[in-house]
Amino acid sequence: MEMTSLYPVASEIFLACAGMLLLLWGATAGEKSTGAITVATGIAFIIAIFMAGHYETAKAVVMGGHVGSNAYVLFIKVLLLLSALASLVLSQHFLKSSKLSRPEYPVLVLFATLGMMLMVSAESLLGLYMGLELQSLTLYVLAAFRRDNAKSSESGLKYFVLGALASGLLLYGISLIYGGSGTILFGMLHEVVTADKPPVELVLGFVFILAAMAFKISAVPFHMWTPDVYEGAPTPVTAFFAAAPKLAGIALLIKLLYGPFHGLLAQSTPIILVLSVASMTLGAFAAIAQSNIKRMMAYSSIGHVGFALVGLVAGGQEGVQATLLYLLIYLPMTLGAFGIILSLRRDGVYLEQISDLAGLSKTRPALAAIMTVFMFSMMGIPPLAGFFSKFYVFLAVVEARYVWLAVLGVCLSVVGAYYYLRIIKIMYFDKQMEGFQRVPGWGVASLLGVTVLFILTLAVKPDWALSITHDAAKALIG
Amino acid sequence: MNAELIPAVLFYLFAGVLVLSAMMVVASRNPVHSVLFLILAFFNAAGLFLLLGAEFAAFILVIVYVGAVAVLFLFVVMMLDIDFEQLRKGAWKSLPVGILVGLVLVSQMVMTAVNWQSLPTAGSSILSPAARHAAATNTQAVGAILYTDYVYPFQIAGLILLVAMIGAIVLTLRDRGGVLRQNINSQITRKASDVVEVRKVQKGAGIS
Amino acid sequence: MSELIEAFNTFIQTPIGAIIWLVARIFAIMVPVLLGVAYLIYAERKVLAAMQLRMGPNVVGPFGLFQPFADALKLMGKETIIPSGANRFIFIAAPMLTFFLSLVSWAVIPFSDKLVLANVNVGVLYLFAVSSLAVYGIIMAGWASNSKYAFLGGLRSAAQMVSYEVSIGLVIINVLLLAGSLNLSDIVRGQTSMWYAIPLFPMFIVFFISGLAETNRAPFDLPEGESELVGGFNVEYSSMSFALFFLGEYANMILMSGMTVILFLGGWLAPFNWQCPIEFLEPLWGIFWFTSKICFMLFMFLWVRATLPRYRYDQLMRLGWKVFLPFSLIYVVGVAGYLVSTGNFPKVGV
Repeated sequence: MEMTSLYPVASEIFLACAGMLLLLWGATAGEKSTGAITVATGIAFIIAIFMAGHYETAKAVVMGGHVGSNAYVLFIKVLLLLSALASLVLSQHFLKSSKLSRPEYPVLVLFATLGMMLMVSAESLLGLYMGLELQSLTLYVLAAFRRDNAKSSESGLKYFVLGALASGLLLYGISLIYGGSGTILFGMLHEVVTADKPPVELVLGFVFILAAMAFKISAVPFHMWTPDVYEGAPTPVTAFFAAAPKLAGIALLIKLLYGPFHGLLAQSTPIILVLSVASMTLGAFAAIAQSNIKRMMAYSSIGHVGFALVGLVAGGQEGVQATLLYLLIYLPMTLGAFGIILSLRRDGVYLEQISDLAGLSKTRPALAAIMTVFMFSMMGIPPLAGFFSKFYVFLAVVEARYVWLAVLGVCLSVVGAYYYLRIIKIMYFDKQMEGFQRVPGWGVASLLGVTVLFILTLAVKPDWALSITHDAAKALIG
Repeated sequence: MNAELIPAVLFYLFAGVLVLSAMMVVASRNPVHSVLFLILAFFNAAGLFLLLGAEFAAFILVIVYVGAVAVLFLFVVMMLDIDFEQLRKGAWKSLPVGILVGLVLVSQMVMTAVNWQSLPTAGSSILSPAARHAAATNTQAVGAILYTDYVYPFQIAGLILLVAMIGAIVLTLRDRGGVLRQNINSQITRKASDVVEVRKVQKGAGIS
Repeated sequence: MSELIEAFNTFIQTPIGAIIWLVARIFAIMVPVLLGVAYLIYAERKVLAAMQLRMGPNVVGPFGLFQPFADALKLMGKETIIPSGANRFIFIAAPMLTFFLSLVSWAVIPFSDKLVLANVNVGVLYLFAVSSLAVYGIIMAGWASNSKYAFLGGLRSAAQMVSYEVSIGLVIINVLLLAGSLNLSDIVRGQTSMWYAIPLFPMFIVFFISGLAETNRAPFDLPEGESELVGGFNVEYSSMSFALFFLGEYANMILMSGMTVILFLGGWLAPFNWQCPIEFLEPLWGIFWFTSKICFMLFMFLWVRATLPRYRYDQLMRLGWKVFLPFSLIYVVGVAGYLVSTGNFPKVGV
């Protein structure tokens, strides 16, 4: 085998080797090495980004057709690595002060990221399943990482049981598709699954796969686990959950819709439509009643998934581009918001209740201002980046003649604006509470700076974001 | 005796016992009996593999599932003190829902089976997925396919198992204090001169 | 004479004849094995006695040679006691299972070049599968006895057997790498030029020690641990059911020696490829070497028992998981790497 035939998976191979070496390092050096290993993991992510950018630009399918690379996958991989890097930065201080600082944590984050990368670069149903399972298994462990805490253990267990069910659905769907078509390779499926009268077992199999994917991206009605898991898991893990796996799941969904199963678009679009409307609605209404900010973020993320799926309802290159743009903007918004949540401390204790935010504007005005930016952006107030993401999604769906969906979406984002505004109100107008501590460390501070800069400046110069999402969408569909 | 009769008889024997013991796994009252029936089911599945000429798969099934996995099941079940009857009491309440869900699933499967129309590509590749290894013994064919065509999923499966191992250790391993550990190295390197001291004992004075 | 052979050949072609011939061959293996077991017990007592400057059994028959039969008769004459609260079916099935498993392995053992009951392609896997089942007899007996001692003994021995099976598996992979076949006869034929014990000497040692653990023999006989567990998983057994366990244990010892001989000591091959000096006895030449090597290995088993004190449980687990497993794994990588780099990797099929 030529060395060049491994180029499309160069960054994955590098990350896998790095993960195993770091694990060995952690196992021999013990807990005191956690800081160094975290730094090394971050460096590994950065190296992986450069390797991906250097080796994985060409369109290729290698290793028996199970994995491949193209510009779309490269775009997603870079975003994944960046958000994994950001969540590592976020986790540092929290883990140390919660006595969770163990070398396994960065290694597990690395393997989860690797699983997501393998998931989106999969070119066969088997490769997809393997990547998905690597990702899921790691996330179950991360959710239960704070093992002495009943809520954390419960969230890990809940996630595991329901996730195993979703994996079962996925496998069942894959088996139906293999039985009907005799292949698991995306390339072959792309050729044999054609639009005119697809066999019923392929449709059924794909519906099962869609259900499993909807579970992984927590789209309603497969969202039940999300609030409990988000609440129970350690906060940096929740930040990771809200960012990278969502991106990977939606990216994989797009790849499935327009790759192997493009012939089934007529059957799958109504399903995506239902998922999208249900997620937007639930995300808007259920978040209102929450008092825990992590639960609120869970419902908020469900709502955002619904908005992102609107782009897929529109379909075509524009629709996919709108969804990718939505994700590109959603990631820094969410990570930034969690950066704020991870800065809220009083007497060394991390705060999780929304009411704890009261009077933040008096003691830590900068934090309150940044949080306000994120909240406005999530609402979709112009000229912040969040407005653009919603605008392009609705534009695409109007062009695809689903005007009612755009109207519904706008109405629901108005409903959703209520709970974002509530946070701003509590921060600025509620009775002051004393003793908020400083932002923990320059890592979180610089992350907050970068994300808020991104949100503020995208409005000024949106061309680059439009052009990279355009290229990614074109690589997939064009 | 008809030459085709023996495999047919064996097939129905294995399949029949397999189905019966699978049912007994669920139905038997004693959990240890359930595990033993599960083992019986594994055996019959291995027998079916043998009838197919897949001796490698058959023996691997026995070695891995019967020889290792089921032993651990048995360990756990024997040491647990769970009143399964107590657990089952609630099950009858949710029976109607279960039956409903089951009916929906069955009707879906029937509909799929009735309308099943494989694509033309399906037949050949499913019937002999390893056509180019037809001449090899099945151990060789499994090796050749697993380590060339499917080396990628194979490696990822390895990573998944690694993560499972890390997870198990992270979530359960605790360093308890006060546990005496044997340090073989220090035992072996210990010399008599380090620990034994020879003293001249004065008569009637003893050693302080 | 030739007519007789022809008649015999036609007879075994008929269905009933085939079955009778099969049963006869099975008996031809089973009877010597059981006799071997009987005299292994006798030999153990004699060897231990000699090493401890005692006489050993010497009353029943010349040199005590009929002792095993006397013991067997005594055990058969006793009453089978089933403890109250025991799970009757499993309690009775467990010793039968142990005894049965210790005999079925012999189906694939090649006694000489042509002499094997079932020459299956995956003989090694068959042996490995059957030996991994032996744990069930013990764990079932321990559980069904409804007794603490028996249960603890059963758990100990099950944990021990499962642990050492892993390193046995890896050692076998070393042999398979050299032989390029899973067929036991082919493995023996692969040793014509050199017994695998020479290039794989460390693995031979690991296999022998793991074999001691796998058969629950001294110094790994903690499942019995009479000082703390009274007698282990079989405390509650008496009479014939006890005898079946006893026979099973010793038959497993012989089998483990047979496996060692086949995998490492050239099976039926004579050392230095000696030819049989007496042409008349040529067909027995392979059987002779096979049995004498087995006897040598069995003597090693007894010798170890007479010499070494019992391991502690954590030491046992440490040896299995932290020493043997990594060592044999590294050896697999080393052997495979050497074979590939020198171009000696066995070419198979495809």
